[in-house]
Amino acid sequence: MSRKKTPRSKGASAPAASAPLAANGSRPARPIGPPPPARPSLGGGDFYDVAFKVMLVGDSGVGKTCLLVRFKDGAFLAGTFISTVGIDFRNKVLDVDGVKVKLQIWDTAGQERFRSVTHAYYRDAHALLLLYDVTNKASFDNIQAWLTEIQEYAQHNVVLMLLGNKVDSAQERVVKRKDGEKLAKEYGLPFMETSAKTGLNVDLAFTAIAKELKQRSMKAPSEPHFRLHDYVKREGQGTSCCRP
Amino acid sequence: MEPEGRARDRVPRIDPYGFERPEDFDYAAYEEFLSTYLVILTRRAIKWSKLLKGSSGVQRSGTVKRYIRKGVPLEHRARVWMGVSGAQAQMDQNPGYYHRLLQGERSDRLEEAIRTDMNRTFPDNVKFRKNADPCLQKTLYNILLAYGRHNEGVGYCQGMNFIAGYLLLATKSEEESFWLLDALLGRILPDYYGPAMLGLKTDQEVLGELVKTKLPAVAALMDGHGVLWTLVVSRWFICLFVDILPVETVFRIWDCLFNEGSKIIFRVALTLIKQHQGFILEATSVVDICERFKEITRGSLVTDCHTFMQKIFSEPGSLSMATITRLRESCRAKLLAQG
Repeated sequence: MSRKKTPRSKGASAPAASAPLAANGSRPARPIGPPPPARPSLGGGDFYDVAFKVMLVGDSGVGKTCLLVRFKDGAFLAGTFISTVGIDFRNKVLDVDGVKVKLQIWDTAGQERFRSVTHAYYRDAHALLLLYDVTNKASFDNIQAWLTEIQEYAQHNVVLMLLGNKVDSAQERVVKRKDGEKLAKEYGLPFMETSAKTGLNVDLAFTAIAKELKQRSMKAPSEPHFRLHDYVKREGQGTSCCRP
Repeated sequence: MEPEGRARDRVPRIDPYGFERPEDFDYAAYEEFLSTYLVILTRRAIKWSKLLKGSSGVQRSGTVKRYIRKGVPLEHRARVWMGVSGAQAQMDQNPGYYHRLLQGERSDRLEEAIRTDMNRTFPDNVKFRKNADPCLQKTLYNILLAYGRHNEGVGYCQGMNFIAGYLLLATKSEEESFWLLDALLGRILPDYYGPAMLGLKTDQEVLGELVKTKLPAVAALMDGHGVLWTLVVSRWFICLFVDILPVETVFRIWDCLFNEGSKIIFRVALTLIKQHQGFILEATSVVDICERFKEITRGSLVTDCHTFMQKIFSEPGSLSMATITRLRESCRAKLLAQG
């Protein structure tokens, strides 16, 4: 928020330029590019080997920004955040099997009319996290419409994952876990239930995406194939175990 | 300058509009700005009192325009905005209309869309908290609901919550906020908020064209990296700089917006870009460009709202409404052709 910003003079406070990409990108998951001519620059803490663009999509109020902030900062934005208008992004560098993977995560406004503004960015996305809110049936019913949108505008080989968020609100839940699983199966999507509030499965969702993208772009022929579906199924935590 | 600790003791933690100052707020720099700005405000307040003395309404005129560009004092803001925008005339011609809208037919979809944003509108403002008395959340909800019923083609669009919220803070009147929102969305701005958002997309392209003419190096940078203008400026247009620039600066911009119309938005955008042209041109990637466009909305340039408002009328050079209209027509045609 603008009023949270410290007044200070320009120029002196230039944000650090992102380090250029240092990976040999290969399709299908070609990392963000093209690499700038002069490389490499040392970005200090911002150093990475490979970078990918991930987008968060889903209805207004399903928790896209909260999920992102939980992943980025490990915090929950209870009543301190504002509706996302337009499009915004945050970066996070993950260590995936010794490789520094930078995820450039794009957060989008969920309201339907903003789709005509944001879908221009789908085509550059390497992965899409599609969210619904387990306490809001309409957001679940709209998943099909989102998938249609994605099919039309995203790359055909985009990594896609379905997330049912807000599972901490057990009392208000109206979408059962098995409904989410069924829908995911129907469309062949990896699926998890998450909670930006408790952090359940949040890191896992992003890590899984990072592993898949890294594997796709730099897999050595001898390396075993990373299976996103299996990984998510194996590592994902249920929600029933933690609650009386 | 006083040491920062002292300034922190003197400047209230909550600003006059109810916003909590952030942890990293630069109290010393703000106090320094305020010491000169208060003198200006006092001088303007005396002038405005004389101008408005004895008159019931505010009509557009050369004098009023000059006065408005120098800033409308908070106590006269509602009256001036209502007068110059035509909102007062609409309100007078339609007595009881606002209240009839509130009693109108229910629409779950509209109500749900508005409700989703209630806790997400200015959580850092004490007047918008659930436990505030009176709580502006309910008032804001009413304004947005009434507007959605009044203009069914637009309904509710995210961003309107921030605009209506600022109107409420400035006017402290629910009904006046509604009529000012109607003036903005219905007359001053082209179709920014309708389902196709065509006016918004058009104006983003118009800004791109203006930058191409006035700041070609920046346009070349954007082109070179394939950055669409919508990525960096959509919030500037949709939120009319709310939550982008400091509160006082936003109100000063709106003073002129209500009087002179939507070209003011281009003046502000062009000034921000021109003043930081060198800084923007150092960008080396798409992300870097995005970050720099965020950075240029901070700092002393925009905190010193009085100087900034002088700059928006000199820095971008001439900018006639005829030019804007012509560019809007060509950009709109291009967008429609793209489908």
